[in-house]
This record gives sequence, C-alpha cells and structure tokens, in this order.
Amino acid sequence: MPDQVTLTIDDVKVTVPAGTLVVDAAKAAGIDIPVFCSHPKLDPLGACRMCLVEFVGSRGSRLDTACTVRVAEGMAVRTNTEQVKAVREANLGFILINHPLDCPICDKGGECPLQDQTMAYGPGVSQFVEPKRHKNKRYPISDLILLDQERCILCWRCIRYLEEWEDKPQLGLFERGGETMIDTFPGQPVDAKTSGSIIDICPVGALTNRVARFRYRPWELKKTPSVCNHCPVGCNLRLDERVHALRRIVARENMAVNDEWICDKGRFVHQFVDHPERLKKPLVRDAQRGTLREATWDEALDRVVEKLGALVEANGPNTVGGIASPRVSNEAAYLFQKFFRALVGTNNVDFAGGSAVRAWPTGLSAITDIARSDLIVLVGFDPSEAAPLLAVHIKRVVLRKGAKLLIIHPRRIELAKYPGAYLPVLPGNEAALLGELAAAVQASKGVRGQEARGKQAARNPQSPGPGPQYPDVVALLAAAKSPLFIYGPDVARGERGRATVAALLNLATALGQGDKLAYIGAGANEQGVRDMGLLPDTLPGYAPVSDAAVRERLGKLWGLQPPAEAGQTCARMIGGGVKGLFVMGDNLAALPAVAEALRKLDFLVVQDLFLTETAQLADVVLPACSFAEADGTYTNLERRVQRGPQGIRAVGESKADWAILTALAEKWLAAEGRGDRSGVAPAAAPELPDWKRKKRKAKTGPAAKPWNYPTAQSVLEEIGKAVPFYATMRWEALGEGGLQWSARDLRVGVRDSGLSNTQSPTSNPRPGEFLLVSSPLFWDASLFMQYAADQVRQLIPAPFVALNPADLATAKLAEGSQMTLTSPHGSVILTLKADASVQPGTVWIPATLPGLPAETLGGGRGEPISVVVR
Amino acid sequence: MANVSTVFREIGAVVQAMGVTLRALLAGPLTVQYPEQPIAVYPRFRARHELRRYENGLERCIGCMLCEAACPTGAIHVEAAENDPAHPVSPGERYAKVYEVNLMRCVFCGDCETACPVEAIVLGHDFELAVYDRDGFLLTKEQLLNPKVPNVVVRAE
Ligand code: SF4
Ligand code: SF4
Ligand code: SF4
Ligand code: SF4
Ligand code: FES
Repeated sequence: MPDQVTLTIDDVKVTVPAGTLVVDAAKAAGIDIPVFCSHPKLDPLGACRMCLVEFVGSRGSRLDTACTVRVAEGMAVRTNTEQVKAVREANLGFILINHPLDCPICDKGGECPLQDQTMAYGPGVSQFVEPKRHKNKRYPISDLILLDQERCILCWRCIRYLEEWEDKPQLGLFERGGETMIDTFPGQPVDAKTSGSIIDICPVGALTNRVARFRYRPWELKKTPSVCNHCPVGCNLRLDERVHALRRIVARENMAVNDEWICDKGRFVHQFVDHPERLKKPLVRDAQRGTLREATWDEALDRVVEKLGALVEANGPNTVGGIASPRVSNEAAYLFQKFFRALVGTNNVDFAGGSAVRAWPTGLSAITDIARSDLIVLVGFDPSEAAPLLAVHIKRVVLRKGAKLLIIHPRRIELAKYPGAYLPVLPGNEAALLGELAAAVQASKGVRGQEARGKQAARNPQSPGPGPQYPDVVALLAAAKSPLFIYGPDVARGERGRATVAALLNLATALGQGDKLAYIGAGANEQGVRDMGLLPDTLPGYAPVSDAAVRERLGKLWGLQPPAEAGQTCARMIGGGVKGLFVMGDNLAALPAVAEALRKLDFLVVQDLFLTETAQLADVVLPACSFAEADGTYTNLERRVQRGPQGIRAVGESKADWAILTALAEKWLAAEGRGDRSGVAPAAAPELPDWKRKKRKAKTGPAAKPWNYPTAQSVLEEIGKAVPFYATMRWEALGEGGLQWSARDLRVGVRDSGLSNTQSPTSNPRPGEFLLVSSPLFWDASLFMQYAADQVRQLIPAPFVALNPADLATAKLAEGSQMTLTSPHGSVILTLKADASVQPGTVWIPATLPGLPAETLGGGRGEPISVVVR
Repeated sequence: MANVSTVFREIGAVVQAMGVTLRALLAGPLTVQYPEQPIAVYPRFRARHELRRYENGLERCIGCMLCEAACPTGAIHVEAAENDPAHPVSPGERYAKVYEVNLMRCVFCGDCETACPVEAIVLGHDFELAVYDRDGFLLTKEQLLNPKVPNVVVRAE
C-alpha cells in the first residue's frame, strides 16, 4: 500500500496519507462536510449519517458516510450534488423530528453544531406538525453534568469518549427506535475524572455543565486562552468572562500537553476566582483592639516595611523569611525570592514540599513521551488522583499501544489494574525495594550475558548478586525499550526520600535509561517555582547558593549579591527559626500545630485570596489576585513555560502577586535610602539614633537596584537574564502553546542525586498498629475546593480512614463506625471504610481531607508513621 | 365694471375666511391640558418597557438574553438562573434573575420586543420617563414587572 494516496473531492485533487478518512481528507482540501458523530479524537462510528457524500465509481455513484470510509487511490468524491443536498436536508429533518425547540434556554445555543448545520444545510421549513416525543430533561448523570435526553441526537460521542479515553464505559444507549436514549447504568453515575470533556464534544446541548449552567450566552463571552492552576500538568484552557465574572472554563487544544481534554477540577473548580468572600482590601492588625481592620495599600505596605525592617535591623536578616505557594506564577516566585535575597539579605525562602522533597529538576522529558513509551514505572505517584490528564495519556498508551505499567505504591491505585506489575510496598520501604530491583536487574543482565553463550544459564543458581526476587518485574524492566520512571513527592520527602530517589536513579541507570527519570510535584507551578530558585539552598536556575560565580552574576543584575550560606527550610522557619514571616498564597495554619507555631512570630504577613486560617493570624494581610486576574507564566511538569494572561478584572483592590511585591520593594528601597524603615511614622521610632550613620553606609556600599517592573512581562524579561535557560522565554515567543526549556540546558549529574544514607527498612506493623498512607485524593478539601461552587463542594468526602477488609475483619471493626486514630503526632476521629485497594497493615487517609486528619497524624513528613486504631 | 365684480369677489373671500374662523370657533380647542388630561397615543407607540406575566402569575421571561443580543445600544442586562422546580419563577428550567433596562441608552427601537421568543418584554405606552437622578433611568426587574399602566396589547407584526 502506498504511503500517500491521491483522490479527487469535488474536482480538487488531494494527496493524503493512506488510511485517512474521507472526511479528514476533505478538511485538508478545505471542503466542508457536515458531521455530528465523527470527531477527530474518537474512533469512526457512522451513527448520524450527516456526512453522506457521493462516491463516483465505474458502476455509477453511491452514497456513503465520509467519516467511516478511508481514502483509496483514484477515489472520486462529490459533496455538492443535488442528491447530497437532498439527503442532508432529509437527514436534518429526521434529526429534528423530536428535537425540542429549546434554543433560547439551551447553553449550547450560539455555538451549537446542530443550529449551525441546520442553518447551512437544512431545509428551512419543518414538515412536521405532530407533537414531539418527550424524554427526561434536566437529568443528572453526575453531580456535575446534566443530560437532556430530548436534545440528544444519539451521536455516541460521550459514550465513545468515556470508553476510548477514560476506559470507563459509564454511559450507554438504552431502549430501541425512537425511544432510544443515553443513560447511565443503574446506581452508577459518571465519575471519570475528565468527565466534563463530554460536555465540550457533545454536538448539541444535551450535556450541560451544572456549575456554569445558564450563566452565559456564548456570543457575549470574552474568551482568554489560559492554563490550569490546579495541578502540574498545566492543561490549556479558556477563561470565558462576562461582565467581570468568570462564567465557565472549557478546554483548549494543545497536543503537547492535554490533547483537547481537561479534568473536572480544571473545568468546574473556578468559583474561588470571583467568590464573594475574596479579600478586597488590605487588612492590618489594629494596635489597640488587636483585630484586623481594612487599610489602604500604602498603610499596609508601610507596616510591612517598617516591621520587617525593624526585625532585620534588630536581629539580622536571617530572622525573617518567606514561604510561598508552589501555585504562584514564575514572576511572583522570582520576585519573592529576589525580595528576600537582594533586599532583606537572606536565603530564607522555601515552599511547603520544597526543599524537603528530593525533586529531579528536569521533570518529565515530555508529556508526549508517554505515548512513545512501552513501560511506565510509577513510584509513589497516583496520576488518577494527582494529575488526571497524565492518567488519561497513560491509559491511552496502555490501551492503544500495549504499554505496560510497573506500579510501586503502598496502595493498589486505579492504574494497577492494567497489564504490567503492581508491587505493594510499605511506606518507607520504597528505597529498599527499588534497591533490590536494581540489583536483580544487574544480576539478570549478567544472566542474559551468559544466555547469549549458553541457554541454560537462565536458572543458573550461581548468577552474580542476589537472585532475581521478582522475575516477572525484572523481565518487564529488561524488555522495556523506552521506559519512563515517574515518582511523586510522597516518596521523595526527607532522608528516606533521598534514598528512594537515589535507588530509583540507580535502577534507571542500570537499565541505561537514566535520563527518563521524572519527578512530578504537587503544586501547579512547582516546576517553575523551583526553576525560579524559591528554595533555601538554590538560586534561580538551580545553582547552589554557594556558587560564587552565579552569585556575582545575580549581584550584577540585582545590585546586591545573595548571601552565600543556605537559608532555613520551610519546617525550620515555622518551627521558630525566624521572628518575621511572609507567607504568599499558602494556608499553612490550616494545621493547628502550625497555627500554634505561627502565633509565636513577632510579625506575620500573609498575601492570599481569602481570609484563611493563616491570614487570620497575620499582622498584615495583602489581598492578591488569582491566576485568572493577572498576567503570569507557569511552568508545567515537562518544563513547558506557558502564558496565563489576565482574563477578568481584578476583584476589589486586589493586586497581582508580582505587583504587590514590586510595590513593597519600592517602599523598602525608599525606606533604606532614608536610613529608616518606619515609613508611616518616623517619630515613632526614636530608638534608631544612628540613622545618619546608616545612611552614609548605605551610600557607600553596593545598593540594590530599583525595582522597575511596570508589567509581568518585564519581570519575565529579567527572569530571562537571571535564569539562563529562560533567556528565550519572552511573552510573545511563548505563544498560545508555550515553550519547553531543554533538559540539556541543565546538567544534572547522576552523582548530584545518587548519594544517600541507607535507610533502615520499615518493619511490619505490630498487631493493632497500622502504617499511615496519605496519598492524594482528587476531590480533596484544598483551599480552592472549599471556595468552589456548591455542586463541587458536595464532592468533598467527610473525613474517613480506609482499611483493607481483611484487617477490618481481624480487628472486628465495622465499616462506618467512628474510630479514634492515634499516632505519636496527634489523634483524630474518623469514619471507617473498607477498601480493598488498601494494603493489609496500612491505613489510608487521603491528604488534605477536611480538618487535615492525615497531616495531624504526621502524614506527609517522609517518615513512616504507625497509627493505633481504637 | 371690473370694479363691481372685484368687490363681490373680495366680499366672498372675507365671508369664506370668516366661515373658517367661525367654524374653528365652534369646534372647540385641540389643545390637551397635559398633564391634567391624559394623552392618547397610537397603539404602536413605543415607550417604557414592561415585562409580562402569564395568567397564572408566572413570568414570561425565560432569561434567554436574546433581547440583550438584539439591542443595538447595549441597554439591556440579563442574568439567568435555574428555576427551583418546586417554586418556579417562569415555566421551564430558566428564568431571569436580573433584568435591567438602561433608559438612558435605549433608543426605543423595539428590537428587544421583536427578538423575544416568548413576548415577555414589550414597549408600553408610558412615556413619562423623567426622574430626579440618573440611577432612576435604570429600570429593575421589579419595576419592569409592575408598570404603571399594565397590559399593553402585544403588537401582531
Ligand atoms: S442543542 Fe442546539 S439546536 Fe438543540 S436546543 Fe440546544 S441550541 Fe437548539
Ligand atoms: S449526549 Fe451529546 S454526545 Fe452524547 S450521544 Fe447525545 S448528542 Fe451525542
Ligand atoms: S427598544 Fe431597542 S434600544 Fe431600547 S432596549 Fe429594546 S432593543 Fe435596546
Ligand atoms: S425578555 Fe424575552 S428575549 Fe429577553 S431574556 Fe426574557 S425571554 Fe429572552
Ligand atoms: S459524521 Fe459520519 S455518520 Fe455521523
């Protein structure tokens, strides 16, 4: 069969690859064939007959569906004959027999293919006067999606999407003939994590978004291409705004990232952007009453400059620090660390899950590499819960290309049902297990070497090293030609995490695939925040703070050099290492123990969207903008820097993170120039008698350069100078698809991460004790979920603990009962659930449940925690 | 004798003119004592908007925003919401939660009327639109649903 085929469509000669469908060939030739059921991302079906065209052959012409017929050499197709016109009219007439006259109240109206094609190809008048058939309207197929069975034209797109991409056949056709309708299976609502995609691809308004329902008409929306701020995949989406409110979010195609799908968090969780409880004005703590009161920006920023400045002057710069969120834009992260490094003069910057986690700095080689790999090794990472679009890509390569999965996780995660191997591991034992695997691989290599010489060697008891413990797994690893090794933050924390990553790297290197190691973080912009150097020991661009050359280069750029000694980590800053703290976008105090620690601070500044538990403790609260209200760039897990432009007007007086930091820095510099920082009331600080001396000193020493950033783009320009591999990342250059920085620009030697102390293995828990597993859950109680629309908030589960049914039986515990769980760190009361995916001997309490039970028990610290259930 | 005939013609003209004057004198005044007396307008006269209801009290408007789309001056603002099936505001699933007409923008073209699929918005006969402040020109849904002179006949065309 030739690779290229030439055919004629309406007298136009088209050459397309063999195997192309006629409908796609016509598109390539610029000829429009109307379709309903055919979709470029779904398998051909031929359900709606809208695409009928004439195939002219030697024995006359015949009608056939252009969406199912593949091109052939010399094929002649006609799309504009009288016959084609007549069948299109008749077909639309048939589709509309029972289609309700809902257009005025239908969310699809205005962007509806059925409307458009009826206008373009329809008969213009209806032949039918009989009453229409009635079916269910406003019929929920899940908490998030409504089905209108009357509007449905039975194109099967929703059914096929769930089957082909999600591998969750949760919708089906029921009844026969005119009664045929789409429905869920009894008692099983649609729960695929990207279920909202079927709303986008439904060619009519049969599937509607319950969160955005009736909140817009398509023609009056201002549409801004943006990126998702929920997880590190960085899916491309579109913000639809109307009268300064974010009305809905839909997917935007980016073949390198999210294809054309987004997950339900990205689509439905956006009310936090214009929630009525958003902070609209800065708050400062009233000196007399001790409560927070509204203030002007000037007053709030002056207070920060004065109080932080006083702490720096009294105790030195290392007594203040900053903790940011891995969700903020690159611009915000860069300016945040610059504020502390260049102006305050300390390396005390970090984020929760930052320096504590051993992150491989180059992320995933490319998301598209998933489709090219034949084995995906997932260590302590559950894509279905943490990054659903990755799960979609992984399922696709498993289903379509027969790739295998090797899953090493304390819980039998959803993807473990696919071919490959699942190795249960007790939390904390990952390094040991990976070490054994690496040794086994080495050994089998030796064996295979001998195999080449003599075939019996496979079972040779004298094969070097420890005998292969996991023959299937070793065979799986050895057979893989293009594997990917992916790990998540849960197995990379602390000393144990260091050992795990080293062991994983050893394993990958033993297989000759050292460059296929990928760390996937938790925060939406974790990659970018790390690139920006928001770490106590790392400068922008991953140079260690001890690197004098880089410090000098940054010193030239900033006016002042960052200090050479590493700063305090997040945990140390919270644990009393600093007296003044600046928290940008993280709600650390949601955990009562942390709140207790933060109360001891002399001064706390919080910059956030809401009056969170942390903000309630603050002395100054600065109202920030969400990702939708400010320009910014975000770097996803494959190092793709993407634009997130402003899509709606900022709420109240809130400002972009980078703009707040710029204003603060300007005030800081002005105060420094004057030699005092009591910007608001100089007389109130008589204990600074030597201000003249300081002023002179400030003049003679090197001074910080002024912060001149009128726009986020100007910050990005400076980032290009500070971080070598961001040099080409200009706003215009990024375009709508983003740009990847090359992993080759960053030389991470194997030895940089390969060394670690060996860790004692976790022992099996004693009877009555369980090891805590706190891996993430998709619908958790994170801050954005708490401020989501009602339909979404009801998906947050009540706090629970899941045990293996066998454990429940042995311990004579009943599902649904309330149990007290106690660990050395605390104790919580939770509802008991039986879950076969939980390993015997462990309890699963997902991270970030309401009230943070897993965190209260000490989860997420990188140490195995044993829990007593009573 | 041309003079005699001229005289008679002139007299005739004066009598004719007096006739007109006398007729007008007897016809009574055309002037309407507005505002003491109401003014009659033509049936197709277009003035202040109103939103209509069905006989059972439900609002006709379904919040479809088509009037908003049709309006050449951007005078209308609609926010739709979902009906509570137990206490519906309008028949069907959707109703207008917010409906505002900015009379300072409106040019009384009637396009909104024409666009409405359920004949909910109509231009009434109430042309007395003067108010004491600008905010008064922003008609709320409450005001639109309760016009001073209710039940305007819906124009057939
Ligand atoms: S699906 Fe399309 S044609 Fe059907 S009611 Fe909605 S807008 Fe109208
Ligand atoms: S609900 Fe929509 S996508 Fe599904 S079959 Fe009906 S028309 Fe097609
Ligand atoms: S009458 Fe014309 S200008 Fe006035 S609201 Fe209606 S459409 Fe707009
Ligand atoms: S008045 Fe008519 S056109 Fe305007 S929103 Fe209501 S139903 Fe739609
Ligand atoms: S598009 Fe070809 S049959 Fe539906």
